[in-house]
Amino acid sequence: MKISLNWLKDYVALDASVEEITRAITFLGFEVEGVATTGAPPLEHVVVGEILTRARHPNADKLSVCTVDVGPAGGVKTIVCGAHNCDAGNRVLVALPGAVLPGNFQIKESKIRGQSSAGMMCSPDEIGMGTDHSGLLLLPGRPELGLPIHQALPPGDTVFDVEITPNRPDCQSHLGIARELAAWFKLPLLYPQEKFRGVIDESAPGGARPDLLRSVRVEAPEDCPLYTAHVITGIKIGPSPQWLQDRLVAVGLRPINNVVDVGNYVMLETGQPLHAFDARRLEGNEIVVRRAVDGETITTLDGKPRTLSHRMLVIADAKAPVVIAGIMGGENSGVGPDTTDLVLECAIFKRQSIRATSRKLGLSSDSSYRFERGVDPHTALEAAYRAIDLILETAGGRVTGPAYRIGSDVPWQREIVVTHDYITERLGFDIPAADMRAAFEALDLTITREEETVHPARGPAWTVNIPSWRDDLDRPIDLVEEVLRLYGSDRIPPAVVQSPGLEADDDPIVLFERRWRDYLVGHDCHECVTTTLRPAKEVMTWSSHAAAAELALANPFVEDQSHLRPTLIPGLLEALKLNQSRGVAADRLFETGRIFVERNGQILECAAVAFVLAEPVGTRSWLSRPAPDFYQAKHHVMALAAAAGAEFSRSPLGPISGASGWQENHSAAAGDLAGPGWIARFGLLNLALVRAAGLEGRIHAGIFAIRPERLSREATRRRYAEFSLFPAALRDLAVVVDRSVPAADVQKAIAKAARAAVGNSFAVESVKVFDCYEGSGLPEGRKSLAFSLVFRSAERTLTDDEVNAAFQKLQDELTRVAGYQVRK
Amino acid sequence: MQDQLSALLAKAAAELPAVKTRPEFEAAKARYVGPHGELTALMKQLGTVPKEQRPAVGRLINEAKGTLQSHLDTALARIGEAELAAQLGPAVDATLPSPDSGPGTIHPLTQVREEMCRILRKVGFSIADGPEVETEFYCFDALNTPSDHPARDEKDTFYFPVSARFGNVSKKVPEERYLLRTHTSSVQIRTMLKGPPPIRIVSPGRVYRRDTTDATHSANFHQLECLYVDRKVTVRDLKALLDYIFVALLGKDTKTRFRPHYFGYTEPSFEVDLSAKHLPKVRKEWIEIGGCGMVDPAVFDAVGYDSEVWSGYAFGMGLERLAMLLYGIDDIRYFYQNDLRFLRQFG
Repeated sequence: MKISLNWLKDYVALDASVEEITRAITFLGFEVEGVATTGAPPLEHVVVGEILTRARHPNADKLSVCTVDVGPAGGVKTIVCGAHNCDAGNRVLVALPGAVLPGNFQIKESKIRGQSSAGMMCSPDEIGMGTDHSGLLLLPGRPELGLPIHQALPPGDTVFDVEITPNRPDCQSHLGIARELAAWFKLPLLYPQEKFRGVIDESAPGGARPDLLRSVRVEAPEDCPLYTAHVITGIKIGPSPQWLQDRLVAVGLRPINNVVDVGNYVMLETGQPLHAFDARRLEGNEIVVRRAVDGETITTLDGKPRTLSHRMLVIADAKAPVVIAGIMGGENSGVGPDTTDLVLECAIFKRQSIRATSRKLGLSSDSSYRFERGVDPHTALEAAYRAIDLILETAGGRVTGPAYRIGSDVPWQREIVVTHDYITERLGFDIPAADMRAAFEALDLTITREEETVHPARGPAWTVNIPSWRDDLDRPIDLVEEVLRLYGSDRIPPAVVQSPGLEADDDPIVLFERRWRDYLVGHDCHECVTTTLRPAKEVMTWSSHAAAAELALANPFVEDQSHLRPTLIPGLLEALKLNQSRGVAADRLFETGRIFVERNGQILECAAVAFVLAEPVGTRSWLSRPAPDFYQAKHHVMALAAAAGAEFSRSPLGPISGASGWQENHSAAAGDLAGPGWIARFGLLNLALVRAAGLEGRIHAGIFAIRPERLSREATRRRYAEFSLFPAALRDLAVVVDRSVPAADVQKAIAKAARAAVGNSFAVESVKVFDCYEGSGLPEGRKSLAFSLVFRSAERTLTDDEVNAAFQKLQDELTRVAGYQVRK
Repeated sequence: MQDQLSALLAKAAAELPAVKTRPEFEAAKARYVGPHGELTALMKQLGTVPKEQRPAVGRLINEAKGTLQSHLDTALARIGEAELAAQLGPAVDATLPSPDSGPGTIHPLTQVREEMCRILRKVGFSIADGPEVETEFYCFDALNTPSDHPARDEKDTFYFPVSARFGNVSKKVPEERYLLRTHTSSVQIRTMLKGPPPIRIVSPGRVYRRDTTDATHSANFHQLECLYVDRKVTVRDLKALLDYIFVALLGKDTKTRFRPHYFGYTEPSFEVDLSAKHLPKVRKEWIEIGGCGMVDPAVFDAVGYDSEVWSGYAFGMGLERLAMLLYGIDDIRYFYQNDLRFLRQFG
């Protein structure tokens, strides 16, 4: 809200500087977003002077040498000037030696190109009035010579742009801010003088005019707890007086006419919105406060037709709605140039009702803004009387009645009991009781009772009376803030952080994310942060349509951020693309973050880590490295799974089913969110998808996701297992199988047969594939897998004979049972 | 015999330096000292030498054997050296760049978050985490945000359809809606509902606002919040924490100041300003860095803590904003674009 300093001074005799007032408003709890000064600043040694003569500077074409009379401020001076308009006869502002202009520009007597100059004649920008420096500021109206600047120019104003927090609707007004500043500067608050006090003289010429407003009915009292209306006749619409216009302009409003301006003025003064109708334009001379009928329409003052619904409150005449209550008037009933009789509405509308209607219609106003935050019903009539005073003052006329006042005005009564001790305990430092008492009183929080508490050392207990406009104060803790505000929250004494030990550990998710990050950064990957909200099309590429539907927001803000991400990969591809298109080589990226995966018709929020490994494209190197491949992706995913405690080796690997961005036959999946609580996907990204994304080359990727609640399990402590110190016996074995047979199956079969072959006499330590071959020498569709077997005993060195015997048995068994062709 | 030995040694001296490989060497060695070697044959002849000459001949043979062995040793050493030399290849040019990309980098947001957590860890805060998809209760109701509060409006908060089902995000009441959390304060509620005080947590995480993306706004961004609940926690304690955090982060001359403000979940509430002289690209004396206050009794009521017994403070700030201030970054969008020229600057 814009607050004018001149206006504030009507209510509180502020003599503090603008800086001090800004600081006061700030530490009272309202952010000052801007301070604008209009008019002339009170600069010393800047006075009115008249140019007597002008002559060319002997040494400079563009300069003039003038004689200037500054009257009582120093007589005639010789001044060198560069402006085009320093003509004799002009009255201008002269900065004399000793003046300090904005920007700390100090004026001294000086020589300019050999010609002495006893000051400077000023352009508007030089004295801080705007940015115009095209010429001297010429003073109209021949002000007196030697007059100080701020007397010569129209008085200025300072306007603070103040952000009012939602808990303080009382400060949506100049009086409210003035009340706060009065408390801060310990000055009295002066309320405007009221003349009209609700007494209507019906015997005055013209008498009562019941015909102008026959009835006022409130049919929706739940939305309108108080409605008042006064009839004023014989007014003359015209422009407002200058002082009123100046104030409205200063705070950013456009003056319209005296009646409308008074309405706005009183709202900005008291916070109470008002509305004036032309009494003659009210059909049937009646006012009905009711809910609109569905489909009813009104054209609001901004010229737009609005369709109303049954939840919206309107002020209607006998025929139709004339105002959307508390929000905006209609075109048809407002005050116009020919209005002579008016009805002045001053009402309280329920904030929820106004908020809902305002939002529904997408229509807000200064009035609705205030009603939404809450207007004090107990001061409404005072605002009406104030407006009547100003209307009579600026537009003439007479209050004739009838006057209506409908609704209950429950007397306001609230008291809070708070002790000095309570406040001190919350603050953690001592403020003397006298200071607390003074703070309450300064804020109009009257102490009605003061008692000693049971322990005198704990200070007094106060019963504090809360005024009706401070509905935000309800509990003792609320008064702690009031005390601290006035004491100054910048005066909280420093202290050392107290940190008595607590038994608590970091959430496991933090630990695991840290491990993942360390691992991938250690493998030269760059951590990225991408957005969680993704476009529908992308989400449907990576998960089924049914799952995508579950991920949709009810109210996306922009179309391409409509769904929760089911994977991190597309974000990383976007980052690759961005770098590629900017000519920055990027090949290894990763992200840790939440993804949202559908399982059995439910969405599960999962902690995830994903990486992409791109073939270097367009970058050349003097020494080439092999491009990333499937098994690199697999290696990384397994390491990430292990870091999260997932037992990858126990989970069967399968193809990735359903919609996905992975390349068939070149990717694999493991895990299950329903079972072990984690999933992994890795391999080659779909080539067509990658190309469609505008990327070149093959991209391998991997993602591991786990339900966060599964991470919280305590890890079991590992136990040491003994190992043999005797030498190992090695044998190699190659088998020929169908191309489609997975190596892991063959490995398992060999390991099983090997264990059977050695029995209890010694151990099969490992069976590892070391060669995989297809091609010449083998039949079409067959492949050869070679395994290295390690045998070892815990008790002795194995002999060739016993190992050979077991190896032979193993080969026989494989051929016989598994049907493998063992290569000799 | 002597002539034979001399001839043998001469032959070995001529032949062995020409041996190039280990197999050649083994063959040569066998020719001289193997079971059928020439020296072995001569040694076998010792038996035929007259008895009185045997010591002298024996000495000759031993001398010859020693000499031969030293020829062999020299040859073997030479071959060994040649083998190592062959492993080396030509000398490297150490000034050529490594073809490997890297090193990997940690995102600046992560770095700032980790640094803040480390600072807070030192004074006893543990890191708490919670879901990004939340419900109205945890995000608003429990935080004293009435149902018609503007922050809850569909204009400002992302909601999910009533039919949405999130399997691992619990609702407090069945009829409430799921939403994307607008602050990490929901983690505070979940933590307080999980156990009794005292608690001291920091909750960093991703949050969402229905907002236009521009240089200073993003639909998702990151916050970090602290909560401390104990007996007799005071405003002064809160100020001490903020002073500590920013001195630890920016050096001992750093000042913070509290300006009164309003938040529904704290009373009294403050905005926190930071003395800005350490910060790049800031031309103001003070710069706003976050919000804080004493936990409102209504919040304690919502989680079943007795507000007569327990008091606490909460502090929250935006991580992007902090990172922007610390590093002098002037556009929030850089954080989500992941241009490597940006990421590499922070290492």
